[in-house]
Parts: sequence; C-alpha cells; structure tokens
Amino acid sequence: MKFKSSSLAVLIVFSAAAHAQSSVTLYGVLDSGLLYQSTSAATFLPTAPNLGHVYQLKDGGIYSSYWGLKGSEDIGGGYKITFKLQGAFNTMNGKFGLADTPGTTALFNQYATVGATGPFGTFDAGRQIVPMIYAMAETDVRGAQYFGSILTAWLGINQAAGWPGTSTNAPIGALYDSNALVYSSPKFYGASLALEYAPGGVAGHFQGGTRESAVLKYSNYGLNLSAVYYNGHDTNPFPLTYPAAPATPATGVNNNRFYYFGALYTISGFSVSASYAIARNPARSNSVNFEMASGGLGYQFSPAFKITSGYYYLKDRNNSANHSSEFALGAEYSLSARTRAYAQVGYVNNKGTMNQTIIYGAPVAPGVSTTAAMVGIRHTF
Amino acid sequence: MKTIKTLELVVAAWFVAASATAWSQASETASSPANAQGASQMAESGAVAPAGRKADRALRRRVYAAIGKDKEIRAGDISVIAKDGAVTLNGTVTDAAQIGKVEAIAKGVSGVTSVTNKLTLKKPLGGM
Repeated sequence: MKFKSSSLAVLIVFSAAAHAQSSVTLYGVLDSGLLYQSTSAATFLPTAPNLGHVYQLKDGGIYSSYWGLKGSEDIGGGYKITFKLQGAFNTMNGKFGLADTPGTTALFNQYATVGATGPFGTFDAGRQIVPMIYAMAETDVRGAQYFGSILTAWLGINQAAGWPGTSTNAPIGALYDSNALVYSSPKFYGASLALEYAPGGVAGHFQGGTRESAVLKYSNYGLNLSAVYYNGHDTNPFPLTYPAAPATPATGVNNNRFYYFGALYTISGFSVSASYAIARNPARSNSVNFEMASGGLGYQFSPAFKITSGYYYLKDRNNSANHSSEFALGAEYSLSARTRAYAQVGYVNNKGTMNQTIIYGAPVAPGVSTTAAMVGIRHTF
Repeated sequence: MKTIKTLELVVAAWFVAASATAWSQASETASSPANAQGASQMAESGAVAPAGRKADRALRRRVYAAIGKDKEIRAGDISVIAKDGAVTLNGTVTDAAQIGKVEAIAKGVSGVTSVTNKLTLKKPLGGM
C-alpha cells in the first residue's frame, strides 16, 4: 500500500512537470467606477479653460482594465522562454489603450515581449512597462494607482513638461517603452538590479531615439528601497498639433532625464512611504526642471480591508509660482478573491500653470484646486 | 498656501493618529499578555523584558533571512513580528501561492513555535 501511494506521488510529480513544461494563460481585469470631479479641462494645455464639474463613468480607479496572454516553455537546465501580450482597454467604450504615436491605439500597448528567464535573471525584449515604474510603485503606499498616487504625480510633471496625453511618449521618464531590452537580475540578499536599453532604430543616428535606464532595488526586513536613473534621447518627438505638423526628426538630443529615490516600510498592519525625484530636460533645463516629493501612510485593518493615503508635491524649479499639492485617500474592500470594491477621494491644489490630475485620464483645470471622489469595482479573470 | 498648510496638518494628524493607535496597542499588550495576537504585534514595545526582547529580535532577523533567500518573495513587503516564538506575518505578496509559502518558511525557522498569517495578495501594477 505504501509503495502504491509513493508511485502515485511519482506519477503526480511527473504530470506536474509535464504541465510546467509549456503553458499559456488568458487573463485580465475590468475596473469601472463612478467619478465626480469639481473641475475639468479638455486638454493638458496650461491655458485650458475650466469646463466645470463632471460626473462620469470612468475606467481604471485602481489600475486600467486590461487583458492578456502569457506563456512559458521550460527548455531545461533551469531556463524558460516566456512571452507576454497585454493590452489596456477602456471599459467605458471598449477602445484599446494609447500607443507611442499620438492619436493611435495599440492592441497590446502594455506588453508585447518575448524573453528568457534562468539562473542569470530575466531578459525581455519588446514593448513593456519599464522598471522605473515598478520601482516607484514599490515605494508608494498608494502603489502607483491610477487615482492619486506617485503615478499621477509623475504624470503631473509630464503635463507641465508639455506631454499632451495623446501618446505614451513621456517627456520625463516613461511608463511604457517600445523597442526596449530589459534585464532584471536575481535577488542577492534582497538587492536587485534592472537595466534597460532601447535602441532608437533611427537611420544614421546611433543615439537617435534611444532610452537607457537603471534601477537599483532592495527588499528585505520589511523595507523596500528604490533608486532610479532614466535617460532618453529624442523623447516625445511629436508636436502638440501632430499630425497637422510633422514629428521632429531624431537628432540624438538628450532631452529626458529622471532621478527617483523612494522607501517604503511595513510594520504590523502599517505601511509608510516617502520619495524624492528630480526631472529635467538636459538640453533645455531652463524650461523643464521639476522636483517631486511624496509621503504615504496605509493601514491593513483585516485581510479584506485596507486604507491607503498619500501626499504628492510638485515644484517647478524655474518658476516658483508653479507648484502643486495633492492628497489622496482610498479604501479597498475584497468581496472575494477576484473582486474588490473601492472608494477614494482626492484633493489637488494646483498653482500657476500646474495641472496635476487626481485620476489618470480626467484632466483638471490648471491653476485652481480640484476635488474628486470615486467608487468602483475591480474584477480579475 | 493656506490650503497647503491645512493639508500638511491633515497628513501630520494622520501620522499622529496612527502612532497613537500603535501606542494603545502596546499598552493593551502590557495589561493583557494572554492576548497572543496583540502581544506578537507589539513585541518591541517597552513592556517586554530586555532579554526576551533581544531573543525576539534575533528570531525576527532569522525569519527575514529565511524569507529573503527565496528568489520570488519580496521580504521588503512583509512585516515579521516575533514574541516568545510566536511569529505574526503582515503585509503583501505578489502571488496567492506565496501566502502559504511564507508561512511554511517561517514555521521552518528554529525557535518559531506558532505563526499568525495576515498576509494579503497585492498584484503589481500591470502584472498578473
């Protein structure tokens, strides 16, 4: 009898191994809510008029809705070949997420990668969410959510630096990079390194359109530390009036640099975070030179219920009249393993030409204060 | 400017309120050591004898060292509190399977007599 059960165990182990050899998963999330916002604007222009308060159904209260396919093949020796195709979509209208060309969308705008993983670490090639965003999310109690977080603060810098919000080409840093090669090291006593290089693919220019970034992380003893360096050439070559006016030809100009340092500490049910960042255009630092600082505090009341809060401050180093303070508070309640309900409120005080948003995708009027509240649901499949 | 001040006050109030909660937990522990969960949450409070506190800290470090060895688990997102061999886990992991895995790792550390697991799942941005 004993022999039988052990041979059965062997069989199970073998079938598990056979299963692990190759797999494809279809997955996704739908995130919808009702948003109230006390001011609104049609564009991110610093002169955009206030169109008044707005009630709307809104996609992405926590993160965007997305769907994807991912898979891996075990090639032996501890090595795996992996792929990931993932695209954001808007639950309000079914449209796909933004691509790297203004006014266009892409089926897999978040991930289109093939890669390898093994004892050396992980290597992925293709369009992807870049390491700097994960480094920021891991040192923000609000987790770089779509509503009031280090993500909306960083986007606030980008809006101030001229990002029109019509493509994923950011003037400062990046959320997604096309043509990216990303290497992530294994953890070594909690420390890890991620390196990114994106060849520009611009004929006649080695530097044209390139991106390079490095992220150093530490995660152990309840403490997360992140340090980010990001540098881009010919970043966001599209003028505001594109496609009426053509894209600026790539010349290899170094015009996107971002430094970020963040920490998050977890003790009992509490989590506390803080960060500081500098963003500038090295080619035109007299027009694009910003500072960002954040603080966060959260408490997990039970496995199903948590509250997170964050404070985000932006400052234009070239013009002290332009600064912005945002406070966000959110509660999340898990209805089941795959569904959670959330309620969040945010307040932003924009001064000068600043227009830091409270939630991604809902521009606020520049230079005034705005309040927003949202309730919604996020369902994973 | 006034609103910024108000905001700063709100944030400061949050932190004070939070630390006050932590303190009241500590005094609860002192008055009712029978409450194992409360006790393990505030192992590092002044209520515990120095020798015990030293042992608790050493055990906490050993549990972290064991979790930190895992290639996938991010021990920076996890709070480990040890009190006389009783370990309480708080915080988040990125994969549902890791909730049980962290508990198993903690149980395997010598000196750990019990594990209270309060870990929750937190999917990373854009990940599954």
